[in-house]
Amino acid sequence: MNGLLASKLFGQLIETNAFPLAVWETVYLTFASAAIAYLIGLPLGVLLAVTDRGGLKPVLWLNKIVGIVVNIFRSIPFIILMVALIPVSRAILGTSIGNGAMIFMLVVAAAPYVARMVESSLKEVDAGVVEAAKSMGAGTFKIIWKVYLPEAKPSLLVGAVISTVTILGYSAMAGTIAAGGLGSLAVTQARPSNAQDVIWLCVLLIVIIVQIIQELGMYLATRTDKRIRAKGRKKKAEAGK
Amino acid sequence: MIELRNLTKIYPSKAGETVALESIDLTIPDGSIYGVIGLSGAGKSTLVRCINLLEKPTRGQVLLDGEDVTAAKKKRLGEIRRGIGMIFQSFNLLEQRTAAANVRFPLELNKTPRGEAKQRVEELLALVGLSEKADAYPSQLSGGQKQRVAIARALATRPKYLLCDEATSALDPATTESILQLLKKINRELGVTIVVITHEMKVVESVCTHVAVLDQSRIAEEGRVEDVFSFPQSEIAKQLIIPGLIRSIAGGGGNKLRLVFHGDTSDEPVISGLAIECGVPANILFADTRRIDGKTFGHMVIELPENGKQVSAAKEYLAAHNVVFKEEL
Repeated sequence: MNGLLASKLFGQLIETNAFPLAVWETVYLTFASAAIAYLIGLPLGVLLAVTDRGGLKPVLWLNKIVGIVVNIFRSIPFIILMVALIPVSRAILGTSIGNGAMIFMLVVAAAPYVARMVESSLKEVDAGVVEAAKSMGAGTFKIIWKVYLPEAKPSLLVGAVISTVTILGYSAMAGTIAAGGLGSLAVTQARPSNAQDVIWLCVLLIVIIVQIIQELGMYLATRTDKRIRAKGRKKKAEAGK
Repeated sequence: MIELRNLTKIYPSKAGETVALESIDLTIPDGSIYGVIGLSGAGKSTLVRCINLLEKPTRGQVLLDGEDVTAAKKKRLGEIRRGIGMIFQSFNLLEQRTAAANVRFPLELNKTPRGEAKQRVEELLALVGLSEKADAYPSQLSGGQKQRVAIARALATRPKYLLCDEATSALDPATTESILQLLKKINRELGVTIVVITHEMKVVESVCTHVAVLDQSRIAEEGRVEDVFSFPQSEIAKQLIIPGLIRSIAGGGGNKLRLVFHGDTSDEPVISGLAIECGVPANILFADTRRIDGKTFGHMVIELPENGKQVSAAKEYLAAHNVVFKEEL
């Protein structure tokens, strides 16, 4: 039985530079999936917000259909969704294993989640501001582009941080379909040989990555928000008096 | 000229239908500052939103310089809206844009060339007295400053009309007055016709040339402000012009007169005159008068003694001094 520290596997993994590779794979899987999930989820979220009752252009049947599809995908646990998507991935990508297939599955799981995130961010935008834009003769597209998205930007960034961290969590299941990353390393290699040191290092590295994403994302969200920044300045100015 | 013809707006609701506006006929002449006053729920906001079709009327027409706005196609409606500025109670500025960028917003929408837009924004901010706040974000501005930015933004496309939906209701009295003066200046100097929606009689009194009193989805009365103010016909107008508290004090016997000072009134102190010249002691129950350009405007409720002779003497005296009075209380 291996000891708690410096297992045989740990040594091997250090020698083969497996940890940096796993970190890279986790980051790569997460961000590539998040980026593609936003390409799909952002327009879907806009659609959900705009077509809803009381939205800019209510189209209730469309809203209902998209809403139901989104809800179905969101209610399937990721591990089951992965298994179900294996034949789909094989049909579309020609493979159901590896990082490419993993990104495909992560996107399918995350895009609906992103859509809801975006929808809720857009719904925070003050209806009065939208009305003002309408009164100036702005059409639907202009209002989305020049009012909804810029006004919701800080909230969208916060949503992006939450979505990315969620995707990172999902990516830990990559081992199931022979894709890489820290989760895969911990589950498929460290677990069978009970290398606790490897498992805990993986955990630590994931925590560090999440912290970096979280802090950086929140910093950006706060920095771009003219409401918060202005308040901070005012406080500073008051303290200076 | 804005003409509302048989304008009706009905909202479907769970309990059947809610009538927000019923057969409104109104003509807003060019160059006027037209007040629409009413209690909350009277339909004022719906009325103003029907002018630029933020609300689609259920029936009736909105004629803008003779053109029926309700029949306008999408593209034309955009153009029409650019010719009507609008400001709101909650300012509705884009929070993530600076004051200057907010004013530039409508210019971006109608694709004004960059250089021209920049110059126009500077002009407008100067007009509303906020040149030094060009780079400030709305959260760094006071309520009055935000409304000034909103006014500058509403005027960016040189509209002929400006709609103000309770534009001063969120502001303190001093700021309200400064915003009202700005609206007056815009009306006078730029010739913009202004529609002012408010629940405050003071706002109407201070800036409007005309007023329509809205009550329960209908127009109770309308006309020039001095006429409606001096001789309110409808119960609702009386209620708005004379505060309820005074009405209740004034109730219950005695000879009460409401005196109206409309600018032509002689400069003599009439109440002292009543006492000294006619020997009639008058009790002042309520007074709300002010002097503008050396003339007295406003009204006053006085109570006279229960003596027919004295009362008629008092009335004669008042008539001789050009004070309009009514025994309506």
